[in-house]
Amino acid sequence: MSTFSLKHTPFHARTGALMESQQWRRWAGHVVASSYELLHDREYHAIRSAAALLDVSPLYKYMVTGRDASKLLDRVVIRNVGASKTGQVLYTCWCDEAGKVIDDGTISRLGEQAFRLTSAEPSLRWLHLNAHGFEVDIDDVSESTAALALQGPTARAILQQLTSDDLASVKYFRLIQTTLKGIKVTISRTGYTGDLGYEIWLDAANALPLWDALIAAGTPYGITPCGMLALDMARIEAGLMLLDVDYVSAHRALIESQKSSPYELNLGWAVDLTKERFIGQSALRAEAARGAGWQFVGLEVDWMSLERLYEGVGLPPKLPTAAWRTSVPVYEGGAQVGYATSGCWSPLLKKYIALAHLQTPDATASKQLAMEVTVEHQRKQAAARVVKTPFFNPDRKRS
Amino acid sequence: MATTYDAIVIGGGHNGLVTAAYLGRAGRKVLVLERRERLGGAAVTEEIFPGFKFSMFSYVVSLLRPEIIRDLDLPGHGLHILPLESTVTPMVNGDYFGAWSDHDQTRAELMRHSPKDAEAYDEYGRLMYHMAHAVRPILGMVPPDPTSMSPRDLMGLLKVGKHFRGLGAEQFHALHKLMTMSSADFLDEWFETDVLKATKSASGIIGTFLGPRSPGTAYVLLHHYMGELDGVFRAWGFAKGGTGSVSETIGAAARRFGAEIRASAPVTRVLVKNGRAIGVVLENGDEIRARTVLSSLDPHRTFLQLVEAKELPDDFLGDIKRFTFRGSSGKVNLALGALPNFTCLPGFGPHLRGAMSISPSLEYVERAYDDAKYDEFSREPYMDIVIPSLIDPGMAPPGKHVMSIFVQYAPYHLNGGWTDAKREAFGDAVINALERFAPNIRSCIEHRQVLTPLDIERITGLTEGNIFAGELSLNQLFFLRPAPGYAQYRTPLAGFYQCGSGTHPGGGIMGASGRLAALAALKDGA
Amino acid sequence: MSLSYDAIVIGAGTNGLVTAHLLARAGRKVLVLEQATGEPASRDIGWIPPQVIADLSLTKAGLTIDTADPWAAIALEGGGRLELSSNLQRTAEAIGRLSARDAAKWPEFCARMHKVASVLSALYSQPAPDVETTEPGELLRLGLLGLKVKGLGRQGMIDLLRLLPMSVADLLDEWFENDALKAVLGIAGVMHLRQGPRSGATAFNFLHHHVGSPPGVFRLPASNLSHVLAGLPGVEVRRGAQVTRIRVAQGRANGVVLKNGDELAASLVLSSADPRATLLGMLEPGWLDPGFVRAVGNIKCRGVAAQVSLTLAAEPSFKTLSVAPSLNYIERAYDDVKYGRVSANPWLEARANGRQVDVHVQYVPHTISDGKALGDVVVQKLCEHVPGLRESITARFVLTPADLAAQGLTEGQRYHGELTLDQILFMRPVAGWTRYRTPIGGLYLCGAGTHPGGGIAGGAGRLAARQILNDPRL
Repeated sequence: MSTFSLKHTPFHARTGALMESQQWRRWAGHVVASSYELLHDREYHAIRSAAALLDVSPLYKYMVTGRDASKLLDRVVIRNVGASKTGQVLYTCWCDEAGKVIDDGTISRLGEQAFRLTSAEPSLRWLHLNAHGFEVDIDDVSESTAALALQGPTARAILQQLTSDDLASVKYFRLIQTTLKGIKVTISRTGYTGDLGYEIWLDAANALPLWDALIAAGTPYGITPCGMLALDMARIEAGLMLLDVDYVSAHRALIESQKSSPYELNLGWAVDLTKERFIGQSALRAEAARGAGWQFVGLEVDWMSLERLYEGVGLPPKLPTAAWRTSVPVYEGGAQVGYATSGCWSPLLKKYIALAHLQTPDATASKQLAMEVTVEHQRKQAAARVVKTPFFNPDRKRS
Repeated sequence: MATTYDAIVIGGGHNGLVTAAYLGRAGRKVLVLERRERLGGAAVTEEIFPGFKFSMFSYVVSLLRPEIIRDLDLPGHGLHILPLESTVTPMVNGDYFGAWSDHDQTRAELMRHSPKDAEAYDEYGRLMYHMAHAVRPILGMVPPDPTSMSPRDLMGLLKVGKHFRGLGAEQFHALHKLMTMSSADFLDEWFETDVLKATKSASGIIGTFLGPRSPGTAYVLLHHYMGELDGVFRAWGFAKGGTGSVSETIGAAARRFGAEIRASAPVTRVLVKNGRAIGVVLENGDEIRARTVLSSLDPHRTFLQLVEAKELPDDFLGDIKRFTFRGSSGKVNLALGALPNFTCLPGFGPHLRGAMSISPSLEYVERAYDDAKYDEFSREPYMDIVIPSLIDPGMAPPGKHVMSIFVQYAPYHLNGGWTDAKREAFGDAVINALERFAPNIRSCIEHRQVLTPLDIERITGLTEGNIFAGELSLNQLFFLRPAPGYAQYRTPLAGFYQCGSGTHPGGGIMGASGRLAALAALKDGA
Repeated sequence: MSLSYDAIVIGAGTNGLVTAHLLARAGRKVLVLEQATGEPASRDIGWIPPQVIADLSLTKAGLTIDTADPWAAIALEGGGRLELSSNLQRTAEAIGRLSARDAAKWPEFCARMHKVASVLSALYSQPAPDVETTEPGELLRLGLLGLKVKGLGRQGMIDLLRLLPMSVADLLDEWFENDALKAVLGIAGVMHLRQGPRSGATAFNFLHHHVGSPPGVFRLPASNLSHVLAGLPGVEVRRGAQVTRIRVAQGRANGVVLKNGDELAASLVLSSADPRATLLGMLEPGWLDPGFVRAVGNIKCRGVAAQVSLTLAAEPSFKTLSVAPSLNYIERAYDDVKYGRVSANPWLEARANGRQVDVHVQYVPHTISDGKALGDVVVQKLCEHVPGLRESITARFVLTPADLAAQGLTEGQRYHGELTLDQILFMRPVAGWTRYRTPIGGLYLCGAGTHPGGGIAGGAGRLAARQILNDPRL
């Protein structure tokens, strides 16, 4: 008898034991926790007040090595990889020939000719298709590499107990190869929460001892295993987009209008048009000259407006308890000018925030718009204001 | 002579019944005449062995047009299509390849075979989605006549041209490749896993007399993707009660629209007067008159048997005679006392509820074709196996099962001709080939029915046993089906129409031909 | 590096030289680089479009076209030969000795095929139609082509639509009953194709090989075209110069690197080498988009034809001789190559030119290079029909697809890409790049891998040169 089961991450023996809520979800063919506890509130607050421990092993990870490794990556992604230094991490996206975003992720330069690329979707084929004529090895290390994110104000203090290297010297978007309680790891100062935080990359075989070491060292600092529900709220506060939620991969889009360029995703800063050649360059050059038609911005829903809508039906404002991911229209004077793709009530900021695609003329900061909300089965429009992201950007993230 | 009818439909297969239902729905007084004692043609459920019911010929519902399901309210008449969720291909080395309906599950399976293919599979799926989207309107379209200078045909051609140009360069080119390439070559551009290519390409050869390496087989790859677009979730599946229930529900719909359906009423001739069909003659000598006569029989039966040659133009008859059939497939129906045990996935499992494809490698399928090229049945045939009783328990006595094995190749024109001994030898070849992958199969079998193309022809009337009522090769598609100038359901005889699978788009339990023919006849004032 | 040439042409085959000469006549300074060291081929097989002959005044330059007549002679199983010539009457008589029914159909068959081929001939004399175009000039041209098709009349149009996707076996079975006749015609349907006569669209390949010939002739003519082109003044041809790299700067080709390390600069590089070898082998990597790389890599280019050249002590008794008793014989020969083997019983066709006999042999996969064994099989097969041949052989030379592949020709495919419906017209060499251009500025293709393809000597070269001269950069 054959039965199929979704994959477990290398930490499953620990995460499974913690699971109280039985709220699992799928991520890249794996089961991961939506929340461990019955409610995800405490997990969310740990991100902002202590340290949250997240199992991010399902990320796709590729080692790109060899003489032409940086040449290949430079050809694929929009940022300048060749100019990066060993120990640096680049957040980037990559595009198809028409300059539309396929996926986004990070590139860690582990050596002169060694890089680790992470992605949300499988990328092996795309890398291979681009590698014609290059002397480069591309290894899918998704399964063999385990990954944890430790995010929150006490993250550094927790890790520092387990290593003799000085983590304070590891700047934002830099990495260090070190050991944590004797276990070989790469620690990058990166994350998906917009907070002080680190991501730890290690051999999957060492996953459990590392987990245990972190829990032991972190307990006095409030370390809290945290699921995807809490993370989703934190990443919206940080203004970070999510593939398949906030944008559609150019490789998956069924129609042109579903695709987005880096400029349309607020990633114009990352496009290096001066590079000799990368996929999508000529289209992006033209777009840069022309100006992007869309922008990806933050929206802040006006509380008073929301309150009035609920008052109309005799209720106090009802707020989403978790992040939502269904696209809703955004209006300007009755005409639709865009759509919000994810949003949440920020318990920290005490604001109802959302990430939205807006047509460029309506995407200027402070612009007054309206976002659709459903109030007691009726579609209404709540006033909302365009704001710059991130919504939450603590100094500790970089310091 | 008793009643006269507005329309007589010859043949009570699913297309004939669809035609009758649409004519009835338009208020016409319709009579359907079926030769056999039961309706359905090649879409019949028969209790071949006591307690064991089989979809004797056609066994999956694939592309039944959603507009027909809606217009005739087939679910309201009892049609229930059950999901066919997976395809598992046992391999010679004891491994297998499985394609499942869950994306993660299929991806995990592909990763076992080739990580590159796992990614290509999604991209391929999207291309097929686009291609199916591009082709879909063609299925519902009356083909224009490219040789005609009439404004209607020129406009039709222009419409087709505009449609394809509207796809955009990338999709147009992909479609061109799909229409002209061999399935093996087309799949080679995407995948490296041989068993995956073999299984996919096998769907490209069904009902053709071509091998997976022959150009013209790639476009059938689309069929698997068509159903998903049609707004009929799970368009690919089993009809509860077997495929006969598809015919029965269409028949029920036709009756509700007032059609009269007469079984055991073979038509021998279409009555023609002054170049116009005026009725039919039955085998018992009865003559029945009608203003319009529609034949759902294949083009050879329709034009070479029902109508006297002198009534038809020579060049048209020449075209019809050139229309090829070359039945290439057979069917083995097994009554099982126990379930087969596949070496690759021992014991009971979800794989048994889906299709098991005996297509372990491209070479296997190609070699199966080689035998047929030289007029032999495949010693090791390609087989598409389903066990409907696992999904629809009513098909077999409790605890027992029915197994349907579609087998290719079995050429109609066998060296020395088909005999009872050859039929049994063919059945043995099937069981032998299956035994390689399911060693206990022999001990499970309680009864066996072997159907050669000749048997299919004898029972259903399909010329040369071709399951599509004429080969679905590129030179017999669209405005060439069944003959240039006569691909619009009309015939050289006024008041006489063709409504079977031998017309565009033909193929499978689709019903599109029947519907388009009825609409054409109604448009002419039938 | 000084810019000493306007254009560098890679390859001194007929297409490369036609391009080079047409550019030279338009005032460009052209260098042709040919990797082979030897003399140009003494005989070329292929239809030379009349425009090529006219544009380069080739007749004045001594071009001779040898349309063998009879164009085919097939050895009959029971002895004797069936000879097919351009004279329809004579051929019908010859066929009549085998089948009166077939003989009666011969004239109509020839007329109908010729009519359909005339459409191809029109398509082959101009750039491939751009079916995606919105440009008025191109739409007009498409309209004219459409009119040409309509001009075929009802039967002609039906033939065109029906025939192209058919198998040549189905086509011939519709017309004829005699095996030998069908086989000798069927050969043209599988020439240079890794398909058997029962494969779809081989009827197209059959018609392709009829283009340019008079009605009733289904073989390509031979000529001294290479020789004549080599003798024309105006371009510099360097032999023994193998290009290993096409250099690119800022997205434009700017020259080539030779195997000996020499670098040659030019603002235009034209390759008559096959598209896969040019774009995936010679071109500096990293410049092409992945979709394009994939499309080029997917060009089906499976060489299956070997050539055995025999030098005899005396002129043989035949001008041409085919060994292929039936379509099934050819089909079985194909079966072997499907599974990676040399045909145990290959079909072959010999053409004699004085004491020189060139034998076309199919099927030989490009993965196998046992020339000796192949030569033996061919001689054995010929000897069955030509007594005393073996004793007469003074030299034997075998060229397999593997040998050609070793010389840089992708998979040893002489047509630089099989002539199948998915690889012709607006799909040749790859969809969207049918006008001899490439994604790299200044780099053009001008070989048989481009429209109108193999078997047409100088056709692609001429159209490529016209395109280049029309393009604004030069």
